[in-house]
Amino acid sequence: MDKKLNLIKSIALCVIAFCMAVAGYLFWEHRNYKEPVVVSEYITEVKKLSDYSDVVKGTVNDSNVYIFDSGVEGGTFLIWGSTHPEEPAGVMAASLMVENLKVTQGKVIIIDRENNSASTNTRVGEAYPRFFTYETEWGTKIWRFGDRHANQLDSWPDPEVYIHYPSGQTLANVDIRNTNRNWPGKANGLLTERTNYAVMELIRQEGVDMTLDFHEAELEYTVENTIVVHEKGQAVAAMVSMDLTANTFDVPVGMEFSPTALHGLSHREVGDYSDAASYLVEVAEPMLDRIRGITDEELLMSGKDRFVMMAGDRGLLYAPIDENGWPIEKRVARHIAVATKIIEVNNTVNPDQVITIEGIPTYEEIMANGLAPYYHNPATAPAERVYYD
Amino acid sequence: MTMLQHSLAVIVVIALVFAIAKKCKACTELTLLLAAVGAIIAHLILPMGEDPRSALPFTEIIRHVVEGTFNYFDVCLTFLTATFFMTLYKEAGGVNYMVRQIVGRFYKKRILLLLLLTVVMMVPGAVTGSGATTVLTVGGLVGAVLAAMGVNEDRRVALIFLLAAMSAACPPINLWAMMAAAGANMPFVGFTWPLLILSGVGALVSTFYLTRGVRNTKPVEEVLGNLPEAPAGWNALRAFVPFVVMIVLIMGARIFPAWWPVFGLPMIFMISAGAVLICSPKKVKVMEIAVTTVQNLKELVGIMVVVGILNQTLTLTGARGLISLAVVILPIWLLFAALWLILPVAEGVLQYAVAPLFGVPLIMLFNMLGYNPVVALSCWSVMWPVGDCLPPTAVVGRAAVMEMNYKGNYYKGLVKNALVPMLVILALCTITMIFNKPVGDLLGV
Repeated sequence: MDKKLNLIKSIALCVIAFCMAVAGYLFWEHRNYKEPVVVSEYITEVKKLSDYSDVVKGTVNDSNVYIFDSGVEGGTFLIWGSTHPEEPAGVMAASLMVENLKVTQGKVIIIDRENNSASTNTRVGEAYPRFFTYETEWGTKIWRFGDRHANQLDSWPDPEVYIHYPSGQTLANVDIRNTNRNWPGKANGLLTERTNYAVMELIRQEGVDMTLDFHEAELEYTVENTIVVHEKGQAVAAMVSMDLTANTFDVPVGMEFSPTALHGLSHREVGDYSDAASYLVEVAEPMLDRIRGITDEELLMSGKDRFVMMAGDRGLLYAPIDENGWPIEKRVARHIAVATKIIEVNNTVNPDQVITIEGIPTYEEIMANGLAPYYHNPATAPAERVYYD
Repeated sequence: MTMLQHSLAVIVVIALVFAIAKKCKACTELTLLLAAVGAIIAHLILPMGEDPRSALPFTEIIRHVVEGTFNYFDVCLTFLTATFFMTLYKEAGGVNYMVRQIVGRFYKKRILLLLLLTVVMMVPGAVTGSGATTVLTVGGLVGAVLAAMGVNEDRRVALIFLLAAMSAACPPINLWAMMAAAGANMPFVGFTWPLLILSGVGALVSTFYLTRGVRNTKPVEEVLGNLPEAPAGWNALRAFVPFVVMIVLIMGARIFPAWWPVFGLPMIFMISAGAVLICSPKKVKVMEIAVTTVQNLKELVGIMVVVGILNQTLTLTGARGLISLAVVILPIWLLFAALWLILPVAEGVLQYAVAPLFGVPLIMLFNMLGYNPVVALSCWSVMWPVGDCLPPTAVVGRAAVMEMNYKGNYYKGLVKNALVPMLVILALCTITMIFNKPVGDLLGV
C-alpha cells in the first residue's frame, strides 16, 4: 500500500514539475518579450521616462517616450496607450502613430506603454492569451497582452485597502497597481504611483497643453464609446464628439465631464495638477465583459461574442453589437480619429496651441485598408529606427 | 453546435465528473481538479460555436492551469501566516491566559461577555476581509470561552463560522465589495454604514440566537478550575503586545497612508508572530509549529488552489460567462427573489471569484435600472460570505471545524445550527436590496 502511495506521489510530483517548467517558461517568455517599434522617419528624439524623473529609473516602467518636435512654435500634445494593457487598441493606436507621424508645427509626445509592467503578465482568473497578433504583408506583428494592474513581480504586496494620494479616497487594494487610479502619482510611492509621478513631471517639463489616454471598456459599462474630459477641455471635446458622430463614425462617440469626486483618474487629476487639458477616450471591447463566452485571441481581435450579443438583445448594454462584433481595426481607427480631431479642433479653439500633423491615416482609410500598411517591418528597417517597448 | 450549447455542455461535463468523482469517494480537492480537467477536455473536443476560434496549444492549457493556481495566492499566504501566528500564541500559552482573564472578569456579565466576544470575532475579519483569518486567529480563543460558558459544541462551531462570515463582511474591508466595485470602476466609498449595519445585525442575531438558553450559573471559580492553566509568567502586557503590534501595523496604513510602508498581511502576521516569540515566557518549538501549521492547512490551501484552476477553466471555456449571463438576464423580480440563494451557493463553489463574476454585471444592471448600486452591492457582499460553509469549498466552515477540533457531523451540526441565523441574514439583505433606494436615501449613500 505504501509503495503504491509513494508511486502515486512520485508521479504527481513529476506531473507538477513538468507543468511548472512549461508554464514557467511561458511566463518568462511573456515577461521578457520585447515589442519592436519602427519609429517614423520624422521622429526627433526618443527619451526614457526616467529622463523626466529618476523615480522610475531602472524599473520596468521606465518606458520609451517618443518625441515629434517640429521646431515650429505651437502646442504640445501628450498621448499614451496601455494604461490598461488588457485594452489593446490603446497600444496599437499609439504604436501606429509612432510609426507614421510627421509633425509640422508644435510637438507631439507619445508613450506606447504607460504601465509597461502590467503588460508582462495576464490577469489571473480571466484566462487571457499572453500575446495578440496582427498579420501584415511582411509577417506577424506581436504585442504582449496584459492585465489592468501592474505585475506583482514588480509591485507586491498590496495594502489591505488602497488610499489614494493625495485625496484620501479609498479604493480596492489591487487598484494601487492600476495607473488609472493613482494619478497624479507619488514620488515615494509604489511602482505605479511613481510612474504617474514621472509622467506628471514630463507634462510639466515639456509644457504639455493637452493629454489623451487611450482606453477600451466593456459594453455593460456606462462610460462607453465616449470622451471623458476635464473642465479645461470641454469645448474641444464637445466639438470632437459632435463632428465625429455626425460625419465619421457609425456608432456615436459621446462626451462626458470628468467627475470631480472620483479621484485617481487621468482625466481628473492631470487636469487638476498641471496646466494641461486632459482627455480620455473609451471604445467598446467585448473581451472585457464578464458575460463573454469563450476567451481567446480571436474574441479579443474580432470583438465578436454571442453571449454579449444576447445581453444586447435584452437591452443590457451601453453599446450596440451584432455578428460583426467590434473588430480591432474599428477600435484603433476610432482612437486615431479622436486624437487627430482633438488636434484639429483645438487648433481653432486655442490658436496659441496649434499643432499640425501628417502621415496619420484617417478613420476611413484604416477601415478600408486595415492596420497592416501602417506597421513597418523591424527586420528591414534601419536599425536606428527600431526601438523596443 | 452554438457557443451557448458548447458552454452549457462544458458545465454538464463539470457536474458529471464532479458527481462521478464524489461517488468514487475522491476528496473535494481532487474532485474539483478532475472537473476542471474534464471541462478542458470537453472544450477541446466539442465544436465551439458559430465564430472562428483561436487554437489552444497544449502548452497554453498547462499555462492556464498553473496560472489558475495563483488566483488566491495572497489569500493562501494570509491563511498560513495568520494560523502560524495564532498557533504560536496558543502553544506559548497566550490563549489559555486570555481565556482565563476573560472568563474571570466577565463570566457573570453574560450579555457584556457575549458582546465582547462578538467584537473580538469581528475585528480580524473587518481589517483583513477574510473570514478564515478570523477563525484562524481568534476562533479558538472565543470558542474556548464559549465552551466555558456552556455553549454546546454544535452551536459553538456554528457561531464561530457565522461570526467569521459576518466579520469578513464587516467594513472597513469587504473583499467582495472591493473587488466588484473595482471591476465596475466604482470608488470604494459609501459602503461603511450599509455593510456595518447588515453585518452587525447578522453577528448579533447569530450570537444571541446560538447562545439562547445558556445561563452562567456556575461559580466563576468552578469554571476557571475546569480551564487549562496558563504557563507562569504571562501577564496582560505580554498577552496584548502581539495583538497591539498587529493592529498598529494594519491601522498605521489607514491613518498615515502617505508615508506608512506597505507590509501586506502575511508579513504583518509574521512580525506579530515574532512579537509572540519575544513576549512568550515559555520557549516554543517554532519549526515544529510551522510544519504543523502547513499540515493542518493543506486541505484549505489545496481547495483554494484548485478553485482557482476551476475558475480559470470556466472562463476559458465560456462557462463562466454563461453563468453570469444567465443571472443578469433573469427577470428583475426573479433576480430579487433568487439572489439570496444564488450568491451563497456560488460562493461555496468559487469563493472570492464570485465578486467579479456576478458582482460586476449586477452592478451594471442595477445602475442601468436606476437602483442604488452601493446599497445593493453591500447586500450582496454580506450574502456571499454566508455561503462559506457550503460545499464544495466550505472554506470558513472547514476552518472552524479544524480550529475548534469539532468531531460532530458537519451538516447536522454546523450547518443545521447555523441555518436560522443564515436565513435571517439573507432575508435582511434581500429586504434591504429591494428597498435599496429609500435605504440609500436614509444612509446618505
